[in-house]
Amino acid sequence: MPKLVVDAHRLAGPVPFDDLPVDPRADLDRLGIDRALVTHTLSLYADAREGNDALFALDDPRLVPVPVVVPGVPGTSTPATSGEVLEWGARLIRLCPQRHRFDLTGSLTLSWLAEIGLPLAIDLEETSPAELATLARHLPGQRILLLNPGYRWLRKIAGLMTEAPGVWLEMGTVNTQGAVEWLAERFGAERLVFGTGAPVADDCGPRFLLDHLALTPAETDLIAAGSLDLLLGDTGQGGAR
Amino acid sequence: MILDAHGHVGTWPDFLIPDPTAEGLVATMDRIGVTAMGISHLLAVGADAERGNRLALEIAGRFPGRFGVWQVYNPHHRTPLTRDGVWGVKLHPDVHLCRLDDPRYDPVWELGLPVLAHGQTDSPWSDPDQFATVAARHPGVPLLLGHTGLWPSGFERAAHTVADHPNVYLDVCGSKMTGRWIARLAALAGAERVLFGSDACFLDLRTGYGRVALAPLSDADRALIQGANLARILALPTP
Repeated sequence: MPKLVVDAHRLAGPVPFDDLPVDPRADLDRLGIDRALVTHTLSLYADAREGNDALFALDDPRLVPVPVVVPGVPGTSTPATSGEVLEWGARLIRLCPQRHRFDLTGSLTLSWLAEIGLPLAIDLEETSPAELATLARHLPGQRILLLNPGYRWLRKIAGLMTEAPGVWLEMGTVNTQGAVEWLAERFGAERLVFGTGAPVADDCGPRFLLDHLALTPAETDLIAAGSLDLLLGDTGQGGAR
Repeated sequence: MILDAHGHVGTWPDFLIPDPTAEGLVATMDRIGVTAMGISHLLAVGADAERGNRLALEIAGRFPGRFGVWQVYNPHHRTPLTRDGVWGVKLHPDVHLCRLDDPRYDPVWELGLPVLAHGQTDSPWSDPDQFATVAARHPGVPLLLGHTGLWPSGFERAAHTVADHPNVYLDVCGSKMTGRWIARLAALAGAERVLFGSDACFLDLRTGYGRVALAPLSDADRALIQGANLARILALPTP
């Protein structure tokens, strides 16, 4: 069993297509998850700024905010300027280039990311391995957490992780037989991060998998929380504290 | 006793399966306490049902008591069927491009053994409506609705669609299934109609079973879903 478990991909708030818990804390308690990195659903399914405001209002150290950034020219972006992102004090930001209709590898986005300098999280459905490789070539220091990678794209994901050492992988949906161990063997457990995408995606299966990986306890601890610290640039702080 | 209603061995062309072997499955089954798994060979689901079925039977013979065999029936190839040493028949209407209610499957229903069929909401080949149709035609044949229709947007409709057909069971494997949905399906259809399946090695056995193990279910309902129901359907000995 891992010493500390942090879910790097959690949602708070309502979704338009199901009746799901809006507060993740009861499920975190039930499944033995110590902390979670959280994005508010209003940022995804309504208005990015309103969702970020609701996210920061949660104000619980157990729920680490991952606000959504929409790069753009003045009047189109969230927040108004890239500089304001740093005022949030967030450790990780989330980008949704498909949902919010901006160009991930366009010069404007690259300029925002360079100025912000924070790791970013992005769902594979919002991009592609090829686009992320392009982003990594433009910004070689950019750390990227690829959310919801699924299991059907292992070949492409492996190519991306080979080409871009700044890419970490959320393992909640990496669920073809033995895939987490396969990735750990090739890229190291320090590039795999426990996350679920719950409550839209499942948290029970990934949480159980975490307890039953055929890896060393040290490797499992990395996936459960330690790799996230590496992604966020922490040293010895323990799971995005 | 944990029984996995829906498993596979072998490779699949669409994507990489890091561990497609029976040996790997048995090691994982031992790790988490799964007694037995029903398998079809992915070669049989794909291009060569007859050879894939032979491979599945060979695997079951190598690991006594650990694997049951779902022999694949390809309606185009009119695959020979057997009653001996198998759990039943596996159908995949979406791969074979033949609707579940097509008369070309008549030899399967005439065999009378349990049938596990891929189910996919809104598919022209395997929508849950077709399960209701064939269940009404063949009420004596236990019919497992694979993946409960696969897409979360269709889970509730699948449960309602087959509610009046007590020979239909909801198999909960699939990459979009959640522990929460398993509990919902038990409430909607009754836990006695819900079956644990993992889809391993296509999917990871641990993730699939984890959804049942950690779903917000009563212990009694979990016991039904994770093994007792399938043991009853297949008349398997229970401890």
